[in-house]
Amino acid sequence: MFDTDTFLQGFPLLLHSATATIGVSLAGLFIGFFIAVAVCCARLSGRRWARMLGGAYVFFFRGVPMLVQLLLVYYLLPFIDINVPPIVAAISTAALCTASYIAEILRGGFLSIPPGQIEAARMLGLSSFDTLRRIQVPMAFRMTLPSLVNEMVLLTKASSLISVVGVAELTRTAQNIAASTYRPLEAYLAAALIYFVICGLLALFAHRVEHRMQRG
Amino acid sequence: MNSVAASSSASTDRALIEVRGLRKAYGETEVLRGIDLQIAKSEVVCVIGPSGSGKSTLLRCMAALETYDQGDVLIEGELLGYVERGGKRARATPGEINRVRRNVGMVFQQFNLWPHMTALGNVMEALLRTRGLPGGQARTRAMAMLETVGLAHKADAYPAKLSGGQQQRVAIARALAMEPHIMLFDEPTSALDPELVGEVLQVMRQLAHDGMTMAVVTHEMGFAAQVADKVVFIDQGRIAAQGRPDEVFHDAQQPRLRQFLQNYLDRNAFWSRGAQERPA
Amino acid sequence: MQQFDPTVITHNLPQIASGFGITLGTWVAGVAIGVAVGFLISIVQLVGPRWLRAILRAYIELLRGTPFLLQLFLLYYGGPSLGITLGPLTAGTLGLGIYASAYFAEIFRTGFRSIPPGHVEAAACLGLTRWQTIVRIQVPQMLVLIAPALTNMVIVLSKETAVLSIVTVPELTFVLTAIGSATFAFVETLLALSVCYLVLVELASRAGMWAESRVARFLA
Repeated sequence: MFDTDTFLQGFPLLLHSATATIGVSLAGLFIGFFIAVAVCCARLSGRRWARMLGGAYVFFFRGVPMLVQLLLVYYLLPFIDINVPPIVAAISTAALCTASYIAEILRGGFLSIPPGQIEAARMLGLSSFDTLRRIQVPMAFRMTLPSLVNEMVLLTKASSLISVVGVAELTRTAQNIAASTYRPLEAYLAAALIYFVICGLLALFAHRVEHRMQRG
Repeated sequence: MNSVAASSSASTDRALIEVRGLRKAYGETEVLRGIDLQIAKSEVVCVIGPSGSGKSTLLRCMAALETYDQGDVLIEGELLGYVERGGKRARATPGEINRVRRNVGMVFQQFNLWPHMTALGNVMEALLRTRGLPGGQARTRAMAMLETVGLAHKADAYPAKLSGGQQQRVAIARALAMEPHIMLFDEPTSALDPELVGEVLQVMRQLAHDGMTMAVVTHEMGFAAQVADKVVFIDQGRIAAQGRPDEVFHDAQQPRLRQFLQNYLDRNAFWSRGAQERPA
Repeated sequence: MQQFDPTVITHNLPQIASGFGITLGTWVAGVAIGVAVGFLISIVQLVGPRWLRAILRAYIELLRGTPFLLQLFLLYYGGPSLGITLGPLTAGTLGLGIYASAYFAEIFRTGFRSIPPGHVEAAACLGLTRWQTIVRIQVPQMLVLIAPALTNMVIVLSKETAVLSIVTVPELTFVLTAIGSATFAFVETLLALSVCYLVLVELASRAGMWAESRVARFLA
């Protein structure tokens, strides 16, 4: 039936690989944020080609399942002579994928910045880039922080897919344990528990952030 | 009142702002129907008029925050918003617009302080980015500006913690830090609680006394009467009357102007006639 | 680099079509199960006893707080340890339905909460019973309010079907990646895979927008 020993013994290994899960998610989110700002600017640009390019990006990365995106990055990059280790492919995919969602979140944030804020920056001679960097992005970020933390939760769960390309993260390690101990139920339950705790902590964090924002 | 006189000696100085035949329409509606205005160095011009008359639009055209359809806006002799190449007119790039209006500062009705920066941060930002000053210099200059408006002690406060009047004063300091030749004010006190209006007007009064060239769209008739060199009454997109304050306020001939002023008096002179006219 | 060879796709159309059919089938079945179970859960959370509500809350939190892939692994690989042995297709569809039910339950719950309490009070004052209020007042309003969230979730689920390939369900991703591995025609197969999903998602989005516009007239 249920083998408690296997269940408990798996934890040290699983917790260790959880760091890979969190690491990949954080890296993906961080890089994805910058890509998202660029995509968002493209979507809100005055130039039609920029808007179309940004729109195409969002259309693709939100229309194709992340698993397929992962396979695309992993299998197609060698074709153009770029050989990347699995973890780089994983982080790249995570970044590109999450960027499309963050771009939409930020777009809402950008659009709710009162136009007067930008006008004041214009009148003081700030360049478009400086206005973006010092005024628009900080304001949009603060406004959309709860949604961004939620995106982090989603990314953490989605990161389980990168086990497919062999990255030694939480799900992959659970698979290995299941294979070597012939006890899949215990292995996967342990992994599920760890995911649950990570997501729970992130959700708590999101709650705190939302609270702080409502006060301030 | 300004020590440098009003319209008569303006001929010796080139007008800092010149507006000629300005026209602007929003789709079908004409908002500005041919405005001619000159503002000389150190002159204080107050623009008054009913809502929707186009006075804010006029100011915003002078700041290139709105485009205009016909006419000229000249800042220190240079055309704003357009470039003329071989007799044809084309929209100016943001870079060119910035260059022409680099000596123009603006204060907004909604203050528009950036909420994620402190008061000091707000004042310093343009000094760091636009002027490219090193941090220490920017800080010193910014603190001096905050000192001028009496808010040095609030340098580290965030806008959310400041009253409306304090925020507007910081906004004025922020604009002044760039050492503009011209200051534009778009209804600077309209969003303030009545008791906070005075502190902002005081700063503006001091600014005028020190010789700043100012264009102020306002409903504060007292300020206009006491501080302005020239009062301009705009109605339905045209200048219906202009002149010295005493000419405009006391010798008003224009019927629309008289109506506007009467409206204003009826709403604001609450302590005089009402008591007398109440039946015994 | 090899030549681009579309015949890889054309020669295997029957297989690909079957895969696409499985994708559609699991998607529809998953949505159906998810909506049905989720709706039931939300009703129980509205009127059920406290202990049941707590259990359901735990159910929702666990399913939403863990990856879908892991849930599939638990069901398909871990199931036998509990005496539940299912084929890939059954496990996949069931897994999708259970996963979906948690999200739909949350959506329905939010929908119920968005109805102004005054509407329920008015119904009570007018003498409607609890059940009548739920059926005639709350559910219709709730459906209109949550239409966008519903269509969004349905689209999310269409993409989640790809994950089923990992537990060997012969849906679209499984079929095309298998062909790709066998023929080394990775570019062609992955491209075809992407296009298929883009078309599917776009069609689903359009359908969703149409559905939303149809119910929008009920929004005050």
